[in-house]
This record gives sequence, C-alpha cells and structure tokens, in this order.
Amino acid sequence: MDDIKILLVDDEEDFIRTLSERLDLRDLGSKTALNGEQALGYVGEKEPDVMVLDLKMPGIDGMEVLRRVRQIYPNIQVIIQTGHGNDLDEAEARRLGVFDYLKKPVDIEILVERIKTAHQAKKNLLDSSATAAAFAEAGEYDTAKTMLKQ
Amino acid sequence: MKMYTATIPGSALTVRSRESYYARQKRLFVVVVILVAIIPLLFISWTASHFYQKSWLNKTTVELTSLANSRREIIDLFLDSQENMLAGYAELYDLAWLRTPGNLEKLFQAMNRQGVIVDLGLIAQDGSHCNYVGPFAEDLKDKNYAETRWFAEVMQSGRYISDVFTGYRGVPHFIVAVTDPTRSWVLRATINSGLFNALLASAEVGPGGDAFILNHQGELQTPSRVGLTALPAGEKGLLATGGDLTIHHSQSALYATTGMKNNAWTLVLKTDIKTSLADFYRARQRDHLIIACAALLILGVATFLVRSMMNKVEDADQQRMVLYDRIRNSEKMALVGRMAANVAHEINNPLQIIGDQAGWLNELLDEEDPASLKNSEEYRAAFAKIKAQVKRASTITHRLLGFSRSTDGLKAPANINTLVEETVSFLEKEAANHRIAIRRNLDPDLPAITTDSAQLQQVFLNILNNAFDAIGNDGAVTISTSRGNGQLAVEFADNGPGLSEEGLKKVFEPFFTTKKAGSGTGIGLAISYSIVERLGGGIEVRNGRQGGCVFRVHFPLPA
Repeated sequence: MDDIKILLVDDEEDFIRTLSERLDLRDLGSKTALNGEQALGYVGEKEPDVMVLDLKMPGIDGMEVLRRVRQIYPNIQVIIQTGHGNDLDEAEARRLGVFDYLKKPVDIEILVERIKTAHQAKKNLLDSSATAAAFAEAGEYDTAKTMLKQ
Repeated sequence: MKMYTATIPGSALTVRSRESYYARQKRLFVVVVILVAIIPLLFISWTASHFYQKSWLNKTTVELTSLANSRREIIDLFLDSQENMLAGYAELYDLAWLRTPGNLEKLFQAMNRQGVIVDLGLIAQDGSHCNYVGPFAEDLKDKNYAETRWFAEVMQSGRYISDVFTGYRGVPHFIVAVTDPTRSWVLRATINSGLFNALLASAEVGPGGDAFILNHQGELQTPSRVGLTALPAGEKGLLATGGDLTIHHSQSALYATTGMKNNAWTLVLKTDIKTSLADFYRARQRDHLIIACAALLILGVATFLVRSMMNKVEDADQQRMVLYDRIRNSEKMALVGRMAANVAHEINNPLQIIGDQAGWLNELLDEEDPASLKNSEEYRAAFAKIKAQVKRASTITHRLLGFSRSTDGLKAPANINTLVEETVSFLEKEAANHRIAIRRNLDPDLPAITTDSAQLQQVFLNILNNAFDAIGNDGAVTISTSRGNGQLAVEFADNGPGLSEEGLKKVFEPFFTTKKAGSGTGIGLAISYSIVERLGGGIEVRNGRQGGCVFRVHFPLPA
C-alpha cells in the first residue's frame, strides 16, 4: 500500500495524539496540527493527501482552513470530524467540497475506512485528470470534459 | 410578557376566580345601567303624580270654599227674608184683623208668591190656634202649643226658627214663628225645606261628593246625596258644628264646613278624593304599567348587552391567555432547546476522547505479553462496554442537536398524505409485532405545502413511536388529514391510556417522559414541537373523546 500522507487538525491535544497513535497501529502515518495556522503552515510545506479537520478551533477555524485549502490545493481530500457542527455548517462544508462530514464521536474503524477511500478517490481523480489531459491533448475535448465532471 | 399581565387583573389569573370576576363585573354593569336608566323614570313619574295631586287639591279647596260661602249666604238670606217678612206682617196687623176670617188667607197668598210656605197659623197667648190657613186645618184645629219648646222660646225672644223636622205631614219642613211687639200672640209659618235641598243639590262637589246641613246635634237637616241618614262616627268628630269656614282634609275626602243661621246649623260640603281622582288614578296605574314594562325592557336589554359584551371581553382575555401561554411555552422550548444543543456539542468532544482512549488502550493490549496479563478478557469486555456506552451517549447528544437544526433553504413542496404513508411504511413491521393497527383517514384533495419533508417525517415518526409506546400491545392508531379554518391538519389518535392533566401540559417539554427510566429520553416530542414551530405550524395534544391521546399537527393552508 502506498504511504498516505495524513494531516490531523484539532485543538484537543489528547484527542489528536491518541488518534495519531492509533492510526500508526494501523500503519497510517500522520502529522498533527493544533490550530488553523499550524495546519495551513504544514500544508504549505508538504501537501498531504488527506486532511482530518475539526471545525471549532481558536484563531483560524476549520471552515476557514477548508475554504483556503480548497482554493489553493483542490487535490487534498478533507474529512471534517466535529462535535459542534449543525446542519448549516454541514451544508456549507459540503458546498465547499469536503470528502465527508463526520460527527464526533467517530469510531476509529470508520475513520480509517473514510481516509483510505478518500485517498483512493484522490488517486482516481489524478488518474482521470491525467487521462483527461491525454484526451485533451489528442483533441478530444468532449471526452476530457465528461471525464473531469465525473 | 408584561403587557399581558398588565391588562388582565390579578384575580383573573386563576380559572375559578376569573369566572367569579367576570360574573361580578356583569352584575355590576347590569345594576349600574338599570339604576341610571330607571331611577330618572321613577323620579319623573313620582313628581308628576305628586304635583298633579297637590294642584288638584289646591284647586278643589278654592272651589269648595267659594261654593260653601255662596250657599251659606243664600240660605241665610232666605231664612232672614222669611223671618223678616213674617215679623213685618206681625207689626203691620193686629190680632183682631188677623182673626177675622178671610184676612189670614189673603196674607198667606201675599206671602206665598214663592210657593215655599206650607201653612200659616195664628196662635193665641195660651197656645191655642186662633186662625189657620193650610192643608191640615182639621188636624191642627184643636192643637195646643202651650207646652212645646218652640212656643216657649218664641214667647220669650220674639222670634224663632226651628230645625228641620218631618212633623205630622211626612214632608221635611221647618217653622218660623214671630210674636207681635206686645208678645200677646204668635204668627207661625211652616216652610218647605225642599228649597235647601235644591240649593245643595246644585252644588258641584264632584262624583261621590256630598252637601248637607247639620243642626247642633249633628242631625241631618237636608238629605245626603249619597243616602246617609245620620253622620258616620268618623265624620262626627271631624266636623265641629258652627264656626267660620273651615277646610278639613282626611285620607279620603276634603270637607268645607261653615256655620249658618247664627251658628245653629252647619253647612257641610264634601268632595270624595278617591272618586274625583279616579281618572287620575287610572292614568297613574297605566303610567306605572308603562314604567314597569320600560323597566323590564331596560333590564332585559341591559342584561343582554352586558352579557354579550362581557362574553366578548372574556373570550378576548382567554384568547390572550392562550396566546400568552403559547408564547411563553415557545420561548421556554427555544431556550431549553438551545441549551440542550449546546450541552450536546460540548459533550461530543469528551465522548470522542473517552472512546478513543479506550480504543487505544484496547489496541495497546495486543502488544502485551498475553502470559503476563491475567485479566485480559475482562479488560477487553470493559473496553467493549465503554465503547457501547459512548455510542449510547452519542445517540442522545445527536438527537439533542435536533433542537438547533435549521430548516432554512431546505423547504420544498410536499404532499402531507405521501409523507404520512412513507412514515407509516417505516413502522409497519413494528406495528405488526405489537399487533397495532394503523388506520388512515386521509383527505385525498389535500393541497401540497412548502415544508421540510425529512424533518416533518421525523415529527410524524416521533408521534407514532410515542403512540406505540402508549398502546403497548394490541391497539390502533388513526391518522387523519383534513382542511378547514385556513389550516391543514394531521391528527394521530391512539387508543392508549391518554395523558393526565399534568401530562397534557408538559408533554412537549424536554425530558418529560411517562416511560420508565432508561427507556426514553423524553426529547422526541420536544424536538417535534420545535421542528413544527420552526416550520411555521403548530402542534397540540388533547385526550380523545373515546380515550387515548390525540396529537394534532397543523400548518397554515397556502394562500
């Protein structure tokens, strides 16, 4: 299996450390960030594949991080994991294009499954992008467009 | 909040005293209206009647006075003229001339031009008749007057006028007697008193009135118009004989009395008040009847108006109380809902950590040497229990989040009947398990309304689950949809035990539950309430007429 680069963002240190350890047990290496600034800094240095993001944080909050990440690094798959979200937040997050929106408490197995699926989705997206690009180069613009839409 | 309590009197706030408060107000208004309307009516009627009686009395008094005076003068004049005429003749002629047969007849004819003299007699000093002209010559031929009182009196004072008496002849008359200047003989005339009767009969004293003359002994000298033969005991005391003109006023009659014939006689004129005022009394009776009718009418109208007015006031107050309750309830629900959602949010994070820490410990166990772990199975069981309890707690917190759920932008036209059918389909299996029949009574022409179908389904689901819990096993739920009064309504009627008074009040409050501890959180209906409120509708509960609960969810019909 490819190494998945995971970034965990949450202001609850106990939570994020344990989560990181448990992902390690499942052969998933991860980095942690305790707030929005740290998260954006890490993303700038080293683009992760999947980002697990809490919404309510001091300073730059999860929604703002999501907004910026989606603008600058649209390939990063973001999974929201929050205890505070209401359905307006969920609607907004989905509109911004999150991979999934999970409500705490989240079972570790479910999270692992979502992370893996997200990673797969990213790979597919890149593959299809590459294929679409190939079609586009060959002049088959319609096929390329259809592919990207999917 | 204050504006409601300010306009509703404190005593109106409890149901029982509110009723008596309105009843008291009603009575007060009715009494005031009646007093204001009827008192002037009674006052006018009383003063009119009083002043009419008074003026009638005054007028009658004046009339009676002048009548009495005129009648007295005429009668006195008549008596005087008779006496004077006789005295004149007694001076003019001597005894010898008068005894001469034929002369007395001439005198009688000369005197009797008026025809009031019945007979004329000449009586000698010893009381024997010397001469007589008149119809009773045979009877009186041997009559001697020497022992009679009048003869003694006339011989003493020279003149005499008797009371009226019937005498031998059976007709009322009186005698006038005079002596000659030497008092040696007496000229006596009998005069018919019928003239008095005519004079008195012509006196106008009104219906039931009377006019008569009394002598000193109170004996009637002229016949009473109303047929009295003697004066009644009550009038005897009232009418002192003789004296100047006096007016007496008794309960039933008005009297004018005056002395005449040198106070030997008394003229009495009597007007009967009751008979004279009979027309007035009849009119007054009619007035009283009219006033009584008017008073009854006023009473009726006042009572009716006040009652309908107070009923309206009471209705308005009650509507305001209901509105006030609803607003208070809705604010309470919103507050509790927000609180519950916030608590849920705050609890979700620690729940996550508890679950994760336990999960991690469980995973770390795998790395331990099984030989050195004596209670490995117990640990794993404990971790599983922690995991299960975290899951249980999180289902509760996620339900609580329903209070803060917004419905903006999620509304779409929906058919309520379809929603009901879908919701029922989720529960058909459970209903069958508990042998609960679900009956539908749906209005097929229900218009679509714009709402959040998913949330409304949750409401229906909550109500139906609640109904199932209330029924237990074997029963029925009837779901009806209908339109009316600008509302679209869905009613869920179960045949469970129904709710207590307390339960009906509190069933929508969060954490109110009738289920035994641990089997219900008591927030399903509270969430339903807040959802329906947010969707612009209303939800109510009542006990059904055939028992059980009826939940009614309603929305305004689209315009």
